[in-house]
Amino acid sequence: MLRYVGKRIIYIIGVFFLISIIMFGIYNAIPGDRALTQVAPLKGKVSAEQFETAYQKARDDLGMDDPLPIRYGKWMGNLLTGDLGYSTFYRQDVIKVVKSPLLATLFINIFATILALAITIPLGIYCAVKKFSKFDNAVQVGTIVGYSVPSFVIALLSIYVFAVILGWFPVNGMNTPNFKGNGFEFFVDRMYYLTLPLFVMTIASLGGMTRYVRAAMIDALRMDYIRTARAKGLKEKVVIYSHAWRNALLPVITLIIGWFLSIFSGSIIIETMFALNGLGKLYYTGLMNQDYDVALAMQMFYVVISLVGNLIVD
Amino acid sequence: MGTENNTKKKSSFSLMFKRLFGINKKELDLFEEEQMQSPFRTVVGNFMANRLAMTAIIVFFVIFLFVLIGPKLMPIDLSYQEGTQKNIAPGSDMMKLPEAMKKNPASISNGASFGVGASADGKVHVWGKTRISKTINIKNVPSDMGKVIQVSAGYDHVVALNENGEVFGWGNGRLGQLDIPDDIGRHGKIVQIAAGYQITLAVAEDGYLYVWGNENVNDIRVKKRTQDKDIVKVAVSADTAVALTKNGEAKHLGAEQSAVSRVPEEAKSGVVDIAATAATAAVIKEDGSVVVWGNTTQGLSEVPKMEGKPISIVGGRYHYTVLTDAGKAYSWGSSRFKQTKVPAAAGSGVTAIYGSYYQNYAVKADKVVTWGLKGYFLGSDELGRDVLERIVNGGRMTMTVGAVAVIISTIIGIIIGGISGFFGGKVDLVLQRITEVFSAMPFLPFAMILSTIIGNQVPENMRIMIIMVILGVLSWPQLARLVRAQVLAEREKEFVTAARAMGVKQMNIVFKHIIPNVISVIIVTATLDFASCMLTEASLSFLGFGVQLPNPTWGNMLFGCVDSVVIQNYWWRWVFPAVLLSICVICINTVGDGLRDAIDPKSNEK
Repeated sequence: MLRYVGKRIIYIIGVFFLISIIMFGIYNAIPGDRALTQVAPLKGKVSAEQFETAYQKARDDLGMDDPLPIRYGKWMGNLLTGDLGYSTFYRQDVIKVVKSPLLATLFINIFATILALAITIPLGIYCAVKKFSKFDNAVQVGTIVGYSVPSFVIALLSIYVFAVILGWFPVNGMNTPNFKGNGFEFFVDRMYYLTLPLFVMTIASLGGMTRYVRAAMIDALRMDYIRTARAKGLKEKVVIYSHAWRNALLPVITLIIGWFLSIFSGSIIIETMFALNGLGKLYYTGLMNQDYDVALAMQMFYVVISLVGNLIVD
Repeated sequence: MGTENNTKKKSSFSLMFKRLFGINKKELDLFEEEQMQSPFRTVVGNFMANRLAMTAIIVFFVIFLFVLIGPKLMPIDLSYQEGTQKNIAPGSDMMKLPEAMKKNPASISNGASFGVGASADGKVHVWGKTRISKTINIKNVPSDMGKVIQVSAGYDHVVALNENGEVFGWGNGRLGQLDIPDDIGRHGKIVQIAAGYQITLAVAEDGYLYVWGNENVNDIRVKKRTQDKDIVKVAVSADTAVALTKNGEAKHLGAEQSAVSRVPEEAKSGVVDIAATAATAAVIKEDGSVVVWGNTTQGLSEVPKMEGKPISIVGGRYHYTVLTDAGKAYSWGSSRFKQTKVPAAAGSGVTAIYGSYYQNYAVKADKVVTWGLKGYFLGSDELGRDVLERIVNGGRMTMTVGAVAVIISTIIGIIIGGISGFFGGKVDLVLQRITEVFSAMPFLPFAMILSTIIGNQVPENMRIMIIMVILGVLSWPQLARLVRAQVLAEREKEFVTAARAMGVKQMNIVFKHIIPNVISVIIVTATLDFASCMLTEASLSFLGFGVQLPNPTWGNMLFGCVDSVVIQNYWWRWVFPAVLLSICVICINTVGDGLRDAIDPKSNEK
């Protein structure tokens, strides 16, 4: 077991470096002169010669005249020591820029996962037990609809219904602008703003997860030990919850981990639509504003997340 | 005797057995064999028996045909936009006259999306898309106007004139187009009113021209002309205005040089009627000739041969309609909305014509004949483009991108999976690592960055193709893994050994012997991948990283709709593409599921 994990980890590190090389190559292929962007505010304020020296200095600082492998080495070294680069859009180190969106995204995703699990697990178990009943068939159709409808459509619909028509929730944002109040009030305000995005994320993940839980549970219910347990005269509830569900839990946990990690990249759409200050939004604005250090850092973050996810799932 | 008894016994025994276990099949003769079905027919039969999947496939084919044939019927002009047709609600009632208007109407006029008219008894009626904004609706006609004899609709406001020469206005008055001057009776009775874009004009009995509203738009700056007191009639379009003077001369009312400002010599005398389109003006002369000048594109200068002498002319946005003394109506100019296709009913007995924008009304003794733009079935968008047209063409784009991406990913998946599974060993190890690299790449972010890099460096068609390739190249790992697993299971079977023994080339064994045996798995995965590729394309375009505007796709039609104003007021702009995309993906997924169940009934248990 340990040997297997070790082997996998070595593979994954290899894959990580391979991807990082590809990513670095891609980001370097983007047209644009970063040194020029950095010194652009000086233009007009200083003489042409001073500007030229500043520009050359910026080029040297950024190491733009080094060959590609050396630049990659420098970048990788910085990355591994936690220096993610400098954001030209926020005029701050990327690591500082990333911090609060990371927390926001983590919070939203964990919350949405918990909500989704709270609904899908009971629903999936119930459907598996009453398989092919009318209720189950209806849920099956519902889940196909659930995982087919794109999340932005669900978001648009719920904004229309809950924010525009009913006016229960704000259309977007994370907090009331210039909100003043103590910690608890702040939290309540934030939850008020996050209700709609959380709702959308939960709904969007119901379909796929319910199907998976149901399938795992049906597999478990078909096992011989279930027949034995029933033959022993155990109550149906005990059979379902302590015999079958425990065994179905393993594949479900695998699913949860994989799914939890995948929503990091999936939340780009939701965060952009609801103007949430999360990682996805950061990546989006980074790309939109040619702030490539941020985008590259985000990209590597997504890669690490999905690699770790693969490892755990394996 | 004994044997006979024996067989009898047997048969009754077997009968008993059959009844016991409820097997109620038709008994077969000894030599008859149970009919065999080929696996393919079994699959088809299973699939057909699945009502849900059958419905889904029918719905999908309907949508598919819709987007396949639709673009042929509604070819899209990517550069088209029309400022006057912005955000019009779905419907086709723009020329649906109320009953009271159908007999001898006193006056008819129409704005960008609505019609307004005065009936014979002087009542004002409104039809079409009258909602201008949340608070302004043309439907809110002022009361107590007396007997209205003339109405004129501008872009988003209406003025009415009653028999006492009083003027009333309603609609959008934000730029002063409803601020009727106080001294309006001073120059005698008002004889004509004309509403344009943010401006209103009125001609008094003595030839004085009143102007109110916003004169700073387009080509209508008429104040300096108002003192001349020589005007009999004005014709105003959304962009320009011309007038007819007492001595039969056509005059441009704008202050600036424009296409219309250079009035030709022929139009400087003997003019009986005038009209204006967006960038041209036209007159009818006493001798019956029609003179058109200005920016005469879209066939506006191609005056048709007419039976009888023209007596009156009206101008739409890009077309003219003329009435001759033979009671016949003729139209020419742009026919995008069939506004020049004069129906046969307007071929005789017409007593008056009205029209503006894209509509025409011909009044006959017993009815009103209409032709032109009825409305937009699914509404129009922020640039005045028909949503239906964009949905049809966008659907084709979305499906093409999805299909090509799936074909690419399926081909890569089969090749990599097949080779990896069949050869094993080092080849497998390397290919597995490659698969891992690709599956570790976060899909959406990666597609976004690739799309940014190709950015604006390539033409749009090339860009769309690259997006297809990106989607295809990023989505094969799952299929490759599946194929590999299947091939691993198949490669030890007898038929492979047989093929090997016969000396078939290894590549041929993989792709001609093994792959056809696992094709069912591939078809199911490809179907489900098609749905997910369509979704990814839509998400990418929705975020602005996929197919770019003005090329429509179902995803980028929603781009820019995340705005509470659009979501609430212009629901048709996002509801239709969103619903169609969702239905399509639901159908494909259902078909994929149905196929899986049909091919492998055991999976039904799951």
